[in-house]
Amino acid sequence: MDFEPRIVAFLCNWCTYTGADLAGVSRIQYPSNIRPIRVMCSGSVDPMYILKALLDGADGVLVGGCHQGDCHYVNGNYKARRRLAVLREVLDELGIGSERVWFKFISASEGALFAETVREMVDSLKALGPNPAKAVWFT
Amino acid sequence: MTSAMNNLVIPVGEEGRARALSEFLAKLLELGVVDAMVVPVMPVPGVITYLMAKDPELIRQRAEPFASVMPVNGASPVARAVSKKPRGRIGVLLKPCEIRALVELVKLKQAEADNLFVIGIDCVGTVDREEYKEAYSDTSRLQFRDACRVCLNPNPPDTAFPGINIGHIGLDDESGLLASLSPELDPGIAGVIEELGFERGDVLAGKRQGVLATLKEERNDAYREFLQKAHAELDGEGIEGVAKLLAACIGCRNCRVACPVCYCRECIFDGDVFDYETRQILGRAGRKGGLKIPGETLLYHLTRMNHMSLSCVACGMCEDACPVNIKLFQLFAGVARRTQGLLQYVPGRSQEDQLPFTTFREDELEPR
Repeated sequence: MDFEPRIVAFLCNWCTYTGADLAGVSRIQYPSNIRPIRVMCSGSVDPMYILKALLDGADGVLVGGCHQGDCHYVNGNYKARRRLAVLREVLDELGIGSERVWFKFISASEGALFAETVREMVDSLKALGPNPAKAVWFT
Repeated sequence: MTSAMNNLVIPVGEEGRARALSEFLAKLLELGVVDAMVVPVMPVPGVITYLMAKDPELIRQRAEPFASVMPVNGASPVARAVSKKPRGRIGVLLKPCEIRALVELVKLKQAEADNLFVIGIDCVGTVDREEYKEAYSDTSRLQFRDACRVCLNPNPPDTAFPGINIGHIGLDDESGLLASLSPELDPGIAGVIEELGFERGDVLAGKRQGVLATLKEERNDAYREFLQKAHAELDGEGIEGVAKLLAACIGCRNCRVACPVCYCRECIFDGDVFDYETRQILGRAGRKGGLKIPGETLLYHLTRMNHMSLSCVACGMCEDACPVNIKLFQLFAGVARRTQGLLQYVPGRSQEDQLPFTTFREDELEPR
């Protein structure tokens, strides 16, 4: 059987989650590899949540937030952007690699972009192969 | 910054530099510049601890301002002692990495800086605590700790606090010790100190700068070599490589306790978030074939790197505190270099630099 990546997605309630909903009601087709978790703001996503998913074997983690200036809480998306950038540095420095972690600004009206993002991410993860953490039991 | 500093010479007599500096510190207390003075002291042979001194005589007799050992990063006990604004002014004698940690704690609102009078002191390095205990009278043959061997900041930051910096790098007892008064130092205090009649120390300051520059170059090379070795140990193994380096971890959390900047009074890893039910553990064990217990070792260490590496002052206390000798400093040093480099943040440099996680620029990083 072909490898089907599992993606844990932390989606902001106001933008990306609504965008995902729009993709659904618009009947836009996209792969079902994604497991969305609705959060109130991308700024509320602690890097620990992402690490937890990765260490437990999720093949990818997607964080979705609002575009610049659109954050319902003024600047949560900017703060998330810094946290994600720091997380990437940590993962790269340790040789774990950050290519399984994606961060996108997707607004409530961008259902098509959401679907496209998931498609791209699934393709990219298929090329990467399964997360090696799946097999490491002494984490 | 040195040019703007007011440089004075503290003469060193026959009893040596430790007594000369102790005398100066005792004087500051006696003259009322400070109402108490925090200094390292040796209560029993070979053991160094911090003392909040009210009696100048205690400083004269017991202070060990040059002790080449750091059992605790002094920022931690000082921040605790002044977390609620104290009455009166408290002097603290701290090493460069301790001052930088204290700056971070002030910014993290864990210490009150207003009533502190910070005296920084050059530090070329500290040695292992146990080795120091054995050979405290002459530590010149001992090797510095890893963190000190590759330390890029042997001098206290000029811009952190409006206090005094004591310089001794490149200076022998004959030339004396350099006391550099910050240009922002309270004029009243500066006046009291100038009345002590010390000679001008601009020549000494120049001499020290030269030696300091050479030392920093050497340290830079050592640091680069150190990181190369660190990378080689992780080479290409991904998550498994990191897991191997941390495999011995017993989850005692000593590294977190010893870390001066890991400040949360209640850590997520102490709560019941990770008290999984048996069925959850079984489920995860089933997926991986088995599961180390207690688990979440990587999650703990990587989370700490995400939360704290921006403020990491590279003091190496985490590694000293580890009972199973995990090379934590080595891991943290590389990570901190990258995260701090990314957001161009120099922890401990100045109280004015904003903590990177509390601010942002609209046009930076990805996505845009």
